[in-house]
Amino acid sequence: MAVSADLAAAEATKVRRAAGRISHPVILGAATLTGLLSLLPLGFVVYIATTSGWGTIADLVFRPKVGGLLVNTLTLMALVLPLSAVLAVALAWLVERTDLPFAQLWSWLVIAPLALPAFVHSYAWNAFMPRFHGLGAAVLVSILAYLPFLYLPVAAQLRRLDPALEETAQSMGKRPAVVFFLVVLPQLRLAIMGGALLIGLHLLAEYGLFVLTRFDTFATAIVDQFQSAYSGPSANLLGGVLVLLCLGLLGLETGLRGTERYARVGAGAARRRGRLSLGKWRLLALLLPLIFAALSLAVPVLTLARWLWSGGAVIWRFDFIMPALGQTAMLALAGAILTTLAAVPMAWLSVRAPGRVQKILEASHSYVGALPGVIIALALVTITVQVALPLYQTVATLIFAYVLMFLPRALVGLRTSIAQAPVELERAAASLGRPPIAAIWQTTVRLAAPGAMASAALVALGITTELTGTLMLAPNGTRTLAMRFWSYTSELDFASAAPYALLMIVLSIPLVIMLHMQSDRVEQA
Amino acid sequence: MTDRLPLVIGALLALGFSNPISAQEGPIVVYNAQHETLAQEWATAFTEETGIPVIIRQGSDLEVANQILQEGANSPADVFLTENSPGMALVDKAGLFEPLPQDILDQVPAQFRPADGNWTGIAARSTVFAYNTDRLSEGDLPKTMAELAEPKWQGRWAASPSGADFQAIVAAYLVLEGDEATLKWLEGMQENAVIVRGNRAALAAANNGEVDGALIYHYYWFGDQAGTKESSGNTKLHYFGNQDPGAFVSISGGGVLKSSQHKDEALAFLRFVTGKGQDVLRDGTSFEYAVGVDHEANAALPPLAGLDAPEIDPTQLDTVKAAELMTEAGLL
Amino acid sequence: MLELWGISKSYGDHKGASGVSLFAPSGSRTVIVGPSGSGKTTLLRLIAGFEAPDAGTITLNGRQLEGIPPHRRNIAYVAQEGALFPHMSVGDNVGFGIPRQATDRSRRVEELLEQVGLPAEFRNRRPHELSGGQQQRVALARALAQRPDLMLLDEPFSALDTGLRETMRTMVGDVLRDAGIASILVTHDQAEALAFADHLVVMRDGRVADAGPPQRLYARPADIETARFLGEAIVLASVIHGGVAKTALGDVPVLQDDAERADVLVRPEQITVAAEGNGALGRVLHRSYRGAQWRLEIECRDGGLPEPFSVDVPASLDLRPGDPVRLSVNSEAYVFPR
Repeated sequence: MAVSADLAAAEATKVRRAAGRISHPVILGAATLTGLLSLLPLGFVVYIATTSGWGTIADLVFRPKVGGLLVNTLTLMALVLPLSAVLAVALAWLVERTDLPFAQLWSWLVIAPLALPAFVHSYAWNAFMPRFHGLGAAVLVSILAYLPFLYLPVAAQLRRLDPALEETAQSMGKRPAVVFFLVVLPQLRLAIMGGALLIGLHLLAEYGLFVLTRFDTFATAIVDQFQSAYSGPSANLLGGVLVLLCLGLLGLETGLRGTERYARVGAGAARRRGRLSLGKWRLLALLLPLIFAALSLAVPVLTLARWLWSGGAVIWRFDFIMPALGQTAMLALAGAILTTLAAVPMAWLSVRAPGRVQKILEASHSYVGALPGVIIALALVTITVQVALPLYQTVATLIFAYVLMFLPRALVGLRTSIAQAPVELERAAASLGRPPIAAIWQTTVRLAAPGAMASAALVALGITTELTGTLMLAPNGTRTLAMRFWSYTSELDFASAAPYALLMIVLSIPLVIMLHMQSDRVEQA
Repeated sequence: MTDRLPLVIGALLALGFSNPISAQEGPIVVYNAQHETLAQEWATAFTEETGIPVIIRQGSDLEVANQILQEGANSPADVFLTENSPGMALVDKAGLFEPLPQDILDQVPAQFRPADGNWTGIAARSTVFAYNTDRLSEGDLPKTMAELAEPKWQGRWAASPSGADFQAIVAAYLVLEGDEATLKWLEGMQENAVIVRGNRAALAAANNGEVDGALIYHYYWFGDQAGTKESSGNTKLHYFGNQDPGAFVSISGGGVLKSSQHKDEALAFLRFVTGKGQDVLRDGTSFEYAVGVDHEANAALPPLAGLDAPEIDPTQLDTVKAAELMTEAGLL
Repeated sequence: MLELWGISKSYGDHKGASGVSLFAPSGSRTVIVGPSGSGKTTLLRLIAGFEAPDAGTITLNGRQLEGIPPHRRNIAYVAQEGALFPHMSVGDNVGFGIPRQATDRSRRVEELLEQVGLPAEFRNRRPHELSGGQQQRVALARALAQRPDLMLLDEPFSALDTGLRETMRTMVGDVLRDAGIASILVTHDQAEALAFADHLVVMRDGRVADAGPPQRLYARPADIETARFLGEAIVLASVIHGGVAKTALGDVPVLQDDAERADVLVRPEQITVAAEGNGALGRVLHRSYRGAQWRLEIECRDGGLPEPFSVDVPASLDLRPGDPVRLSVNSEAYVFPR
């Protein structure tokens, strides 16, 4: 093992050196280009901030309304993130580690809310309890809509944890509860922080959910401003504040995470894991997933069913629905493919040629996904209308916005699958006379294809339900499912909106299935 | 699949770029800030009659108006429709509207269009106070809109100040009462009003008893009454009358862009909207007032003439100033 | 003294252990060896208390363990790859089982590290900064820290390289002996089992196939499978008459009454190979050089041996593939009980 570890280290340096040798200018160039394009929104915000002058900034940013938005946003985070973390850990632990009845079913139901876009959740709650709004509603609906983002990594980590760790700790005289806090929880930390970051970024970016729960955040205020004055200084400067919040959140997470990597020590053997017997608590424990499923699934599904029923046949305007469906599918497909392709060079560099340049490039790839759609859209509207008019209101610009928004989603999955493709194959292909790019394309890219498909599907899911960016950037005549849904919902015509909600959910179901299977595969890997 | 991928991407990209931006032929583009359903009804009927296809881009009054301003001469828009006048005035001030031919202007009485004839009214809506009949009796109703800023109304009424609708009402108040009074009223509103997003949400808040009443436009109430009554079953309408700012009638406008590549078709569309299209207002479910000469309003509505609205030239409505004051009062 | 009486445990259809009884004397080094799936790990987990047996009793030093959770058994457990807590430093790992309030905590951690041959400054390192062997040393130190009544070692050397494995085995054996702690080690490697055990238990299909001192099990196993499992075995069918077994490899002395049919165990080291002379005729199939010896693969089909077998001969004996050889058994052979 000592030798093998040393070997691995030596191998790693060799890989690095080898990669340095074949670090193709083409790949580096492609990654650099994507990285630079990713900087566009940030550059825009910086430009706005520097050209606005202090007077304007002071007038538009330092005012009570913005303070109120800040308080709202921070309160929301302070409530949603810890509550979600506790709930996600509790649910994951019950499902993965105990003899909770129907554990397999719950593992599906807990992530099923992902199939419902956040604004569909709030639409359902709005229709279900019209008087329920404000902070409480915003917190509840946020937790219901976003919990899977925390649950998935926590559950995967719980499955991945070597059972021997807990057994060893137990054999050393620690009670199971103590073992949980001393051994299990610390190792969930990275998963919890990763999930919490994701939720935090969603909270900053989400528009529809908070409009319907009547809770003002920066995203809603920016859209308000946009709707009052289009791309004006007020919206843009609020956008700058929002960008600062996003970057702050990223920095906070990076800082808290530190340099620690709880890489599993040793390769570990797949081992049967005993499930804790809940005994007399078994039925009581069942309440937790039951209540969660009732609130996150039963409420939306029943509300939706009610509107579909009461709306009757009239709401099925197929002359509207079919084009919306077609356009949504087309955008999702094109966006998913392009986003995944745009992520390939960076993913390859991260795995095969890690270094300082790669770190910087990767950071620029990743941060852009943390920016709310409203910021990217603001930047692109302003840039295209002012300096790149031929691209203004084109599908190309919209898809480019999607690429920027969902680049990190694609990157994460690709990186993992490329890392699993042995570098030796690239070298073998190269030694068999393939030019470098072809060698990579025919070995690593092929092997990474299933992972890439998964990433692409995740991106497609995001595009299918993307609202703010689409609203602001869509070419004339483009009406996606989300846009139609939103247009009816904002007129409180819940019944007419119902078919679109249903379609978005149906489109998202296969992706949820894939996510679930993917997290199963993690366990086997 | 992987081999053909570059091909697929190429095709997709081509598709993306070939999307018509401002094509020479083909459909007219309507930048629409009116209710999408209403605009869609007009468009469908127009296309049926003329064979000219219509593409609708949806937005809100000032968003679209500012968008047109920023797009300038390159705007892909042919026609601009709004819910309220200020958006039209903004575009008009920038000189982006094509002056309308007399035959279109003649279809609308002079009181519903600006004197310069660069755009025209296409529909109208009246400010109302929808109140919850369980919580307010007729005797408790506010006599004037100004009353709603008094302390006794704290937390008792709802409104949607972020929308262009309400900003038009504030602009009217500004015309009638001046800067100082308006700011004072807005500050009172900031204290008193329950802020929601959208007139329907305000109506729903009054209906479910969260507040006693809501300051909205009339047609939201009639539309809901004609449908499920889900958001209005417990409410009635109170018209302020007496030429009070609260009786303000807002004019929805329509205009043709100077930059339009399809001016004839665009003018035909506007001619249709102010002419035959007015029947849609009478027969449809929008419940906005028809403004066309000799066109009747929906039978469910009280006659527009009897509402005793204050007389305001739509070109005088200054929403920029209104928005400034609202921002100062902390409403925006 | 650990005693297992009639222990059974099954997982669905799979029998992990059925009716296992075994004894590990105090202070002894017991090794449970068996092919994978033989139930050896199941036994270890039952003893540790991670799982409960379906039937049977386990007692440790006279104390019934039934119903006692793992954390009250004071039985240490060293997992396959050490299972160090990745989020703790080496020092925290070792100190994990030492009560927080113990004043000599820091000193004991250093002592324990020294005991397993690691310098004291290792206490600040992180597990992933250690080599596999070092990780196992830390794991052992951590297990020793709780002063257990019994130490369970679950294939602790299987992930290590061959050379390191022997060193570690010797070190662990020494440390446990010095500490006077009884241990049970589970392995699938017979060489390791023979080297470490002073009490050997061979498991097969969830049962104890044979148990006792390793020398006895090697020389006089209970059955043919055990014989083959513990080393190269040549099993010869024979007739026994007057303390001599007539086999394909000639007459072999045995300590056994007359029998018409008996299976005789001959280990390769009991066979003398010569280029010529008396003895059964065989043929060299293959040879590989091992420095001091040649390892020959020899077939003896004429003599009625169906399978070829391997035997080491001095390097000076230059026999090439195809060469005929003469084979004879040079010492007393063991007859399997029937």
